[in-house]
Amino acid sequence: MFNLISWELFKTYAKWRTYIGFIAVGVLLPVIMWIMWIEGGKFIQYQLRTLQSEFLITGNLFNGWVIAQIIMNGLWVHVPSLIALVAGDQLSGEATAGTFRLTLIRPVSRTRILNAKYIATLIYTASLVIFIAALSLGLGQWIFGTGDLIAVDPREGIVILAEENLLMHFLFAYLLAIWSMFVVASLAFFISALVENAIGPIIITMTVLAIFYVITFLPVESVEDIKPWLFTTHMNVWQQALRDPMDWDIIRDSVLILGAYSASFWAATLFLFRRKDILS
Amino acid sequence: MNDIILRTTNLGKHYKNRWAAQDINLEVHRGDVFGFLGPNGAGKSTSIRMILSLIKPTTGSVQLFGHDLAAEREKALMNVAGIVEKPDFYLYLSAFRNMQIAGSLTLGRTPDKKKVMETLQVVGLAERALDKVKTFSHGMKQRLGIAQALLCDPQLIMLDEPTNGLDPQGMKEVRELILRLSTERGITVFLSSHLLNEVEQVATRMAIINKGKMIVQGSVADLLKANANKVLVHAEPVKKAVSTLTAMKNVSGVTVTEEGIIARIEPKFAPAAVKGLVEAKCKVFSVQPRHSLEEYFLEKTGASEP
Repeated sequence: MFNLISWELFKTYAKWRTYIGFIAVGVLLPVIMWIMWIEGGKFIQYQLRTLQSEFLITGNLFNGWVIAQIIMNGLWVHVPSLIALVAGDQLSGEATAGTFRLTLIRPVSRTRILNAKYIATLIYTASLVIFIAALSLGLGQWIFGTGDLIAVDPREGIVILAEENLLMHFLFAYLLAIWSMFVVASLAFFISALVENAIGPIIITMTVLAIFYVITFLPVESVEDIKPWLFTTHMNVWQQALRDPMDWDIIRDSVLILGAYSASFWAATLFLFRRKDILS
Repeated sequence: MNDIILRTTNLGKHYKNRWAAQDINLEVHRGDVFGFLGPNGAGKSTSIRMILSLIKPTTGSVQLFGHDLAAEREKALMNVAGIVEKPDFYLYLSAFRNMQIAGSLTLGRTPDKKKVMETLQVVGLAERALDKVKTFSHGMKQRLGIAQALLCDPQLIMLDEPTNGLDPQGMKEVRELILRLSTERGITVFLSSHLLNEVEQVATRMAIINKGKMIVQGSVADLLKANANKVLVHAEPVKKAVSTLTAMKNVSGVTVTEEGIIARIEPKFAPAAVKGLVEAKCKVFSVQPRHSLEEYFLEKTGASEP
């Protein structure tokens, strides 16, 4: 199985499209930071204007941690499309290229081939989030320095997280972010088993996400009951890691629901793939 | 040891409102070069896809080396390799990497470099091993496909229309390679084709399929025996030529077709037959041996052309 996974990873990282996400993030993040460097002072002043009338605020509040948090909030809409770009190509790409005729006549089960592809997809997803994390934190700290983080907690109000604990908070936040992005990867992977072109899974994945997001944020009473069961409701679970104290009940529920979605998409893909006639 | 290494029993595939293949009962013996002959759209590729587990059969079963494909897929396919329709590759990877990927799927580990290079050498691609496959011509891809099939020393190779799209030289090379695989390496070759002369030149046994159904199966020599010694005679006047030939002792089966007069004449009696026609004041324009497999194929499929 390790051999299969390593070859799937090799194939994934040998393709140009795999690096589009890394290039996009690698260009976008420095641009955001450059804008922040120029305009950021005004931004943080605006954010803290009410606090400053009541409290004396000292130290570097516009630091790398704040930048990483802002970037995470801002990028989270775009990252799924970068993940779908690769995850959606894993099965449909092989169908289009005709390479299933090469791989699926070999004495290895379809289940193992699919699992190897799925694991490679998850590894790509994790690697993209880790890249965002490393760039946000590394470049952010280098340019803006370090300090405490002012976070907004809907229950507690303004929470100040001490600098010495922030690395652990952020690592946990990125871990939760990877977990939530696994759902997007699994969804795109599932759609990839349904269609035989490369662009379809990306469009369908983003359409499904858009519909779910609209329902999630729709202020209508009739959909309130289903909202807790939509994965989009839990996609921002990473924000829970930037609270103090963290609400472990919310984190547990979100992790379980997101995990259930990923597992369901994987199981559905397996069901389809094992029965799929290779006609291309 | 079971001499039949591939056996299909009532194999069939049904799509919505039609049978793409129905009741396919094949028997391929160890050492055969087995020709699977049929017009385009006859169901050859569907049958091969079912045998190689790309398509799930609607009916019937496949046994490879005594293992049922549905129940013991991995054991059944362990000694089988194939190219279905046209060989497709990861175009963004080199020939060498493509070989490694294909090999690792069969072996469960990455095949060693020496073995990969030796196999590429067999098909004359060793010097292009590190080039990306997207730079390869169709003929080179075909050869790379054969190299991939050979890499893990299979006992049965299934080739679906292996000369499709190749120029005459490429077709000749593939035919020679098939014969070498059979004679030098003892590999059983299952070869599907709609090209009659291709099958006739290499196959020892064959089956004919048409409109999804298998028509006949057996050794090429036995199947063609019935059609042996047929000649096409162009002579005028036709009536007189027919009556003269019919009267000859060593000539039989004289019929008139749109092409000319068909008769069964042993080669050693052909000069005497021509002499008889000339003596009967017939103008003899030509006497051609009938392409026996083509005749047989047309007779069995009822098609005007394969």
